[in-house]
Amino acid sequence: MQTSKTLTGPPPLESGWLSRVVSSYAVRTLLQALLTIWAVVTFTFFLIRLMPGNPIDVYVGFLMNQSNLTYGEALQQAASQFSFDPNASVFQQYLGYLGDLVRGDLGTSITSTGTQVVDQIARFLPWTLFCVGLGLLISFVLGMTIGMLIAYYRNSVLDTAVSFFASVLGAVPDYIWGLLILVVFGVQLGWFNIGELRGTYDPGLTPGFTPAFIWSVVRHAFLPVLVYVIGTLGSWILNMRSSTTSVLGEDYVNVARARGLTPGRIATTYVGRNAALPLFTLLAVNIGLVIGGSVIIEELFVYKGIGSFLFFSISQRDYTSMQGVFLVIAVSVVVANILADLLYSSLDPRVRIEGER
Amino acid sequence: MRQFFRALARSKAGLLGFIGLIFYALLVGVGPMFVPFDNEVKTDQVNAPLGSRLKLVTRAADAARYPSLASLEGQVVGYVSSSGGETLVEPLEDTFDDTEDYRRGAGVEDGLEELTDGDIDGFVLFSESLKTYPIGPGSDFPDLTVSNARLAPPHLLGTDTQGRDILSHIVNGGRTLIVTALLAGLISTTIAVIFGAVAALVGGPVDRTLSALANFILVLPKFPLLIVLAALFTLDNILLLATLIGLLVWPALMRAVRAQVLSLRERDYVEAARALDLGRRHIIIREILPNMMSFVVVNLILAVTAAMYDQIGLIFLGMAPINDYSWGVMLYFGRTRGALFSPDSASMVLAPVVAIALFQVSMVMFARALEELSDPRLRTA
Amino acid sequence: MTGVTTPQGPVERVPVLEVENISVAYAAARGAVRAVNNVSFTLHKGEALALIGESGSGKTTLALALIRMLVRAAKVTEGRVRYVKNGAAQDVLGLSEREIRRFRWSECAMVFQGAQNAFNPVLRLSEQFSDTARAHGKGDRAWVKRRTLELFKLVRLDPERVYNAYPHELSGGMKQRALLALGVLLDPQVVILDEPTTALDILTQRAIIDVLAEMQDRLGFSIIFISHDLALAAEMADRVATMYAGEIIETGTVDDIFYEPLHPYTLGLLRSVPRLSGSQDLISIPGSPPDLISPPPGCKFHPRCPFASERCRSEAPPLEDFGAGHLAACWHTDRVVEARQGLWSDGAVVTRG
Repeated sequence: MQTSKTLTGPPPLESGWLSRVVSSYAVRTLLQALLTIWAVVTFTFFLIRLMPGNPIDVYVGFLMNQSNLTYGEALQQAASQFSFDPNASVFQQYLGYLGDLVRGDLGTSITSTGTQVVDQIARFLPWTLFCVGLGLLISFVLGMTIGMLIAYYRNSVLDTAVSFFASVLGAVPDYIWGLLILVVFGVQLGWFNIGELRGTYDPGLTPGFTPAFIWSVVRHAFLPVLVYVIGTLGSWILNMRSSTTSVLGEDYVNVARARGLTPGRIATTYVGRNAALPLFTLLAVNIGLVIGGSVIIEELFVYKGIGSFLFFSISQRDYTSMQGVFLVIAVSVVVANILADLLYSSLDPRVRIEGER
Repeated sequence: MRQFFRALARSKAGLLGFIGLIFYALLVGVGPMFVPFDNEVKTDQVNAPLGSRLKLVTRAADAARYPSLASLEGQVVGYVSSSGGETLVEPLEDTFDDTEDYRRGAGVEDGLEELTDGDIDGFVLFSESLKTYPIGPGSDFPDLTVSNARLAPPHLLGTDTQGRDILSHIVNGGRTLIVTALLAGLISTTIAVIFGAVAALVGGPVDRTLSALANFILVLPKFPLLIVLAALFTLDNILLLATLIGLLVWPALMRAVRAQVLSLRERDYVEAARALDLGRRHIIIREILPNMMSFVVVNLILAVTAAMYDQIGLIFLGMAPINDYSWGVMLYFGRTRGALFSPDSASMVLAPVVAIALFQVSMVMFARALEELSDPRLRTA
Repeated sequence: MTGVTTPQGPVERVPVLEVENISVAYAAARGAVRAVNNVSFTLHKGEALALIGESGSGKTTLALALIRMLVRAAKVTEGRVRYVKNGAAQDVLGLSEREIRRFRWSECAMVFQGAQNAFNPVLRLSEQFSDTARAHGKGDRAWVKRRTLELFKLVRLDPERVYNAYPHELSGGMKQRALLALGVLLDPQVVILDEPTTALDILTQRAIIDVLAEMQDRLGFSIIFISHDLALAAEMADRVATMYAGEIIETGTVDDIFYEPLHPYTLGLLRSVPRLSGSQDLISIPGSPPDLISPPPGCKFHPRCPFASERCRSEAPPLEDFGAGHLAACWHTDRVVEARQGLWSDGAVVTRG
């Protein structure tokens, strides 16, 4: 006997990954991200171009003094480097800049003459993404495991100790941990040779999938990755702990126990998966923070990634590189945000529905 | 208030944080009156011909006694810049910034040898036993003398590369940082509370605009943007630095305030106030803000720690040329003057590291305790 | 209404659950909270037993003790729970961790109150049915799917649609029915229903009760029904037990309890049920349930009892048989008999099932 009651409720969703990907939630997320990237690009353009005492004027002045050029010649040279047309209006310059960007042209470096900024970025960015990505992955998994564990044993001695430790980890800036590790383990105890660990791999090695090269990459990345892990672990632990604590009080966990599910199944699929959900939104925030902090960490460990390259361009007053690198970092953060968002929505069916409505 | 302290005493971490903050308040507030800033450079003084290239040499026997200078060992550390009289040797930063070769315990003989070979024009000798040591007796440079003003009073935390007392720098180096961070925290909290409340109460396009702005700033990589800004402006002014940091930190709190106000707005007493037609300002100031006080204070504290992070990071990289000698500047010099890589000058780096770390920990512990006190749900958990 | 086995004439009275003298205490800061005290009852095959009483009377604690789902602070201090299946008895309290896990749901399922949140929000219902089956060694996918669809049909849900749905895609009533279906997935002998219809609107409640009755008819499980909704209890149950301060103070058939109550507390509960006619004043029981750490001496109900005498204050009345399995623990049943006159005279809404 079918009552009309059974037919109420939202329509069923089609299953299958394809429909999930093309669901309007994902499309909306992508559109929002594109909008954000456009805003970042615009912001960067006007920051560099229209500020009082903007670097282009400074550079033009520098060229006039240095190379005995007329203003026009100097402006022409500056324009080619910053890749804009000096005779066009600011708005046209802006459009041109957007067009160049779409084609992947970020101009040429001022100090390393003839080098495309895009090439510089391609050289340095992967190392940072590798370290930051690996560090966040490790700390995310580790923090979730530890946080869940202490939530299961909350208010025990273990919980109190770990929670305190996690608060301390999160409170101290990551570069301060980096300094501490350098001074205590590197210099005082001599566990590793800081001088040898500079750069992204040992000099003289040819990049490739050789054991020597991979081992070298791992050794050089170890300290930055360790610091990224330490810098974010505390917040994962504390957030997972509070999230797990509230999930443990949910009816469905109790019901799952009454259903006679194995403790392992309950811990992973019922408690873990639900408790982890809010952490994915935090993942987006943390990616931004860690990539931002990588400038100091890479400078500290002399790791040649995008952060240390940004600092290098700034100290060299290489404005085109600086602008390009900043843009790329900002876009990386936006992209990482989307990925975290999409990951979140693929784990929580409720989000997909919200997007549908 | 009494209730606050009683509750604080129950939360051990909160109590630790509170004690820590009192300690820091005393340290930066009263400390400088008792421990004046030690700016007397006590490196060796050199009497040498104009333009001489000076190299640092420590006698093997005395090397251990000059830990803070070991990193300069064997380097050309400076040039004599004025003729006649005693000339201060200021280490040249470039010379030892990027060097990996740190020799220790070279003898006077090494120095003399190089002197004779003409590699250098003189060397600065560090010796415990001799206050003044004539360089190269019988050498070509009889007029070159070096004196070592041995550090007279005991130094609890040792001395830096220029022989200055580190403890005095710790005592004096916190005030600017903390004031700037507080200022930045206040600025960002003010913006966050105003924008959040306005967005929630006015709603509509105002809400959408403010929320979009917050979301935009939230995805901007804050620290890289700060150093780009630091390259465009000169961040040598506390207020400017605090404002820039404050302008970049508010969005997270703003969104939280907005959500809080939205939920508070639905509560009975606010409804009642609205029914009584008490006006929007009254509702915000009298009804909503008091209910969010503890929440706002906790976030203010966290904003201060975030500002500390940015500020010290900028100084550490040398991007914020703040004139005051602070813990951040100590780290900067620790790095640029090689102390970071020298086993004997750990104190120069570790002292500010510990000072910063404990301050941040105290702040966070205190904030967490406040959070627990104000949230009855957490109190029982 | 529906085909619930009548209590007086079951073909055979086979016990499935025998509870003997069970007591449960919570450790609290001030001392032990004696939430359940010396409770005994027997549940027979196909029978529906309702536990009624105010909140805090120990109904839910008792039920949780039966499937050993008590919180860590609570302990069964004495007593025995025997579960009988096909003539073989098991000591539930003596089962190992592993055995009790298998026991839950496959032998004795408990449907908690608040079904709104009973399903894991990130798993499809199909997954939650299959993982339940798998946890009890019934991993045959085809069987699970067939059984699940069958049960959905039984609880009047659109099988194909609900099977692939996420919990949030279902309405409250649909979730409750899905939970009932899940409850009988493994064909348990006993189903405990803890306030199965709270938080549902009256029409949905009706539908759930109908479904439940039909399911019990078809599948033949026994029910322990926990409720403070007396009308529902009257409709669902064959037998009723009234709980007060952790003790069963009266038990009997639905007719016994609702038409001839012998305990002043039961009478008080009945009087507090709103009538459709509204002619009789609603009387609530004065006072509040006793402190279970240091309960009053004698009969625990005496501070609130209109008939309390000196004897009630000093001596606890035993649970006495007043004929045909109608038991009550009161020194003054005669006065209750007097007082209950005209209890339903204004046309009661409570009808027999």
